[in-house]
Amino acid sequence: MTRRTKLWWRITSHALALFATAVVLYPVLLVVKKAFEPGRQFALSASPIPTQFTLDHMRDLVARHSAGGDLLFLRHAGNSLIAAALTTVVGVVMSCTTAYALSRYRFPGRRLGLAGFLAVQMFPATLLLMPLYVILDRLHLLNSLAGLVLVYTTTAIPFCVWTLKGYFDTLPKELEESARIDGASSWTIFWRIMLPLARPGIAVTALFSFMTAWNEFIMASTFLTDEHKFTLPVLINSSVNQYSADWGLFAAGALITSVPVMILFYALQKYLVGGMTAGAVKG
Amino acid sequence: MTGRSPMRDFAIAAALTLIIATGALLAARQNALRDEQLGLATNAISLFEARQPLPTDVHITIVQTARGHADFAPRRTIPAEGNRQLGGRADAPLLDKLFYDAAGTTLRTGPYAQLLDDESGRAVATTRLSGTNEVAIALTPVGRVANFPWLQLLGALTLGGLLAAAGALLPLPARAAMLGAGIAVIAMPVLVSQQWSAAAAIGGFAAAMALLHGFGITTRWSAAMQTHRVAYRFVAPAGLAMLVLVVVPFAIGIGLGFFDHSHGTWHFVGIDNFVSILSGGGHPLSDPLNFWFILGVTVLWTAVNVFLAVGVGVGLALILSQRWMGGKKVYRMLLILPWAIPNYITALIWKGMFAGEYGAINSLLHALGLDRVSWFASWSTAFFANVATNTWLGFPFMMVVAIGALQSIPSDLYEAAAVDGASPWQRFVHITLPHLRPALGPAIALGSIWTFNMFSVIYLVSDGAPGGSTNILVTDAYRWAFERGEHYGMAAAYATLIFALLMLWTFVRGRVLRREEAV
Repeated sequence: MTRRTKLWWRITSHALALFATAVVLYPVLLVVKKAFEPGRQFALSASPIPTQFTLDHMRDLVARHSAGGDLLFLRHAGNSLIAAALTTVVGVVMSCTTAYALSRYRFPGRRLGLAGFLAVQMFPATLLLMPLYVILDRLHLLNSLAGLVLVYTTTAIPFCVWTLKGYFDTLPKELEESARIDGASSWTIFWRIMLPLARPGIAVTALFSFMTAWNEFIMASTFLTDEHKFTLPVLINSSVNQYSADWGLFAAGALITSVPVMILFYALQKYLVGGMTAGAVKG
Repeated sequence: MTGRSPMRDFAIAAALTLIIATGALLAARQNALRDEQLGLATNAISLFEARQPLPTDVHITIVQTARGHADFAPRRTIPAEGNRQLGGRADAPLLDKLFYDAAGTTLRTGPYAQLLDDESGRAVATTRLSGTNEVAIALTPVGRVANFPWLQLLGALTLGGLLAAAGALLPLPARAAMLGAGIAVIAMPVLVSQQWSAAAAIGGFAAAMALLHGFGITTRWSAAMQTHRVAYRFVAPAGLAMLVLVVVPFAIGIGLGFFDHSHGTWHFVGIDNFVSILSGGGHPLSDPLNFWFILGVTVLWTAVNVFLAVGVGVGLALILSQRWMGGKKVYRMLLILPWAIPNYITALIWKGMFAGEYGAINSLLHALGLDRVSWFASWSTAFFANVATNTWLGFPFMMVVAIGALQSIPSDLYEAAAVDGASPWQRFVHITLPHLRPALGPAIALGSIWTFNMFSVIYLVSDGAPGGSTNILVTDAYRWAFERGEHYGMAAAYATLIFALLMLWTFVRGRVLRREEAV
């Protein structure tokens, strides 16, 4: 390759990469701008550069209250936190032993189990939405965080099982073998040796299932109709989905809700790709 | 050991059949109560309309809307209580809200009959009096469900157990038959209360269990349980949770597809829902309510998005993987931003950018000297808006996968090729592409399933506009359940069909992959 074509190719490459970056950043900058700019309208000018600055939207968001005087934003944030945390705890606790067995033991039904967990994880929860709605209605669990957590665990458990199984697969078998020779029981080996070793994997899995539940929107907006039971995604959607859309409120809410999970995502993203494609390859 | 095994199989089968029987009996009692109360209420209404004498235990109330007001004002009741205003006072009867709601529903959507959902077992039936703004509402007295037939169930269980135990003394074919008969006996109380489908289910289950036992399959399973009991104990928590939380709702979902739902009651309609969906429901092929139209849109949507996401993602990955490329890390970090943002927020942002004459996209077009576009007014522009949103949020995954695959290509391959005089294009086709394929294959499979079911983008960006024509299968199933008047049966049938399609696709893909590997 001659030096000139190389220079030309370098310029084109940077131009394309810069263009892509601009396309990616543009909507994000618009939201950041809207969050700190007065007015309810979204993007009256195409420029993503803010010209005015206000904290009104942030204040409105936090100060929103119901007819009864409850601070709604704090309540919704609390609901989101409880639902996501409970889902994570239930998901991880129920999945640890199962993932370990699927990784280490060979038993009839293992392949079926693996395929089943994979299918449930890949096929969308929307397919289960309607039967779950009817069942929760019968059990009087609509409009309750307990019902929402039950629904979320249907996707959290298969996710945790597959990711944890992938992590257990990477742990060396020698430790278990020597422990077995020393006479340790299966439960002791799992509880005393494997579980402590798997701690980093468990932490990452837990954080991902927390993020998934925190970001969930369809189930929450279908199952929760009482304003006091809303989670943050339902609040954010309802702020622009009504006849009087308030994009300032939306932008402030979107920023506050997603910045923490985005930081989490950046910290953990290198683990995500490996886990997901590993699952798909084996399936 | 062999002597005990029919009792083991009986115990397992009995536990499961008892669940079915109990459920069927509970439902039967509830249905009987509902039929009786609804009958009372509708009968009272028709007697009232025919100006016949009314049964004494049903209360009829006439509610009249006030002229020029949205509220309902005075009521008169039979037996007479005199006219008065509905509600409005602290000591107003609690029933006033019920009358108010019932009158409102009747005026809006027509007369109906329904069991109240306050567990009181009361039913209401309404009718609109012709030529007036008056609604007659019949309310039945509190109803109680019949006692649960515990004794019948216990008797059937004992009898079944005795049969199975007697069978244990006999040689194999007779033993299996006795076991089946013992289980089938549990269907008797269900038969008494005329729950035919539950009885058939128990009978089928009994026959299956007898066959499994006869061929020694249950014995083999129990031996496997014994040998692998540690593994099964470890698997149990998540396995049982999935059974309860996924398998059962899933089975119920498939079952609901055979029912029709209206005003809180379910009617068995066989395969009508499926027939109606697959035949297009009487809509022409070009109608957005026709299943095949939606399927076409969904397939096009999936293909276009996956193609664009892979194209953009791999293109950027190739650019970022050049050895001399500066700022790789920064580019990569910024470019995966869409992946980090929750889907619903992305969708709402793009909806805002496309919406209205002065949205961001239109302002950009205007700044470039182009015409403003009304994005959600025509199919192609609305579809484009959805695709743009989904490509924006979908390409980073493909890019990251591709970058990972490109990094794993040993650089001496390229050096050797360069020494041999291969052109850049030849190097791309013969080195880069073959190394990308194993990683991109699964990513594309995953990406197409995600896109096929990308509810939030369609639902939030175009919301099906114009006229439902940009709906995909999952959003349309959702609308049947929650936006078109609680057609839960239709929605369930839709979901079943979507699942069947996904299974079919996974299966075909697996076959193709295996054939490619074999070649």
